[in-house]
Amino acid sequence: MITNKIGVISCSGEECLGGTISRLAVRKMMEELKPGMVSTLCLPLFIAGDGGEREFAEKYPTIAVDGCSKCCAKRAIEKYSNKVAGSVDVAEIIGEVKALEKPLSTRNVTDEHMEYVNKTAAKTCEIFDDILIKSI
Amino acid sequence: MSKIKVIPCSGIGKVFGLLARESVLMVTEEKCPSDTETLCLAHVVTGDDEVVAKIKGETCITMDGCAKYCARKSVEETGGIVVKSHKVPDFMKAHRGEEHGTGTALTDDGWKYAEELAEILAEDVKEIKAGVN
Repeated sequence: MITNKIGVISCSGEECLGGTISRLAVRKMMEELKPGMVSTLCLPLFIAGDGGEREFAEKYPTIAVDGCSKCCAKRAIEKYSNKVAGSVDVAEIIGEVKALEKPLSTRNVTDEHMEYVNKTAAKTCEIFDDILIKSI
Repeated sequence: MSKIKVIPCSGIGKVFGLLARESVLMVTEEKCPSDTETLCLAHVVTGDDEVVAKIKGETCITMDGCAKYCARKSVEETGGIVVKSHKVPDFMKAHRGEEHGTGTALTDDGWKYAEELAEILAEDVKEIKAGVN
């Protein structure tokens, strides 16, 4: 078992809706869906390389959750650490046009946005569970 | 003058990253939308030509969540000119004992603090626009 040794990195992009969805989906995993089982890594710190994040992603399976098809989180993990164990692109779930809508403050999150968050978190959980099963 | 780039760290682990993110969105979306814009820090750090072209030589303000200053360092490394750099805990003194929330959601006190941070950023924008650096 590698419980608590699966990393999840969201892009948390500030320029578009997809970034907020990616962030909230990862937070939902941390707090509700897989509490205590997810190691969340800060993408900017991961890239800065001085917080131990890169070493974590080299050693343990890490999932990228990106807000748009630029897939910055996935590319960063693969550039600096290792091939990702899985990746989720919010744009593939909610559509590119929707994902690129203007950035969303958490105080303006609607039921529709939460539906996007739930779908993204569910997709990330599927990947998470696959990794977990393979580790047993 | 092109729009001032205001960039938060958006760190995901603690409330400070969310405070940075929300304060910046208040500035770029509500307080100073015609003078400012934000860029994805995640995109900035990739060093893609597209984002380098947007930020290189441009006036930037950063709001970091912790003393690692990921936003400031990443913007500087990508060629942005950081004329003002802040971190969320710098302004905590008057807010000791308050609960500001988590990396997911802010409390009422958290929103008040984010508003205060946004005002600081908006003042920076005014100063820069007035040429007082």
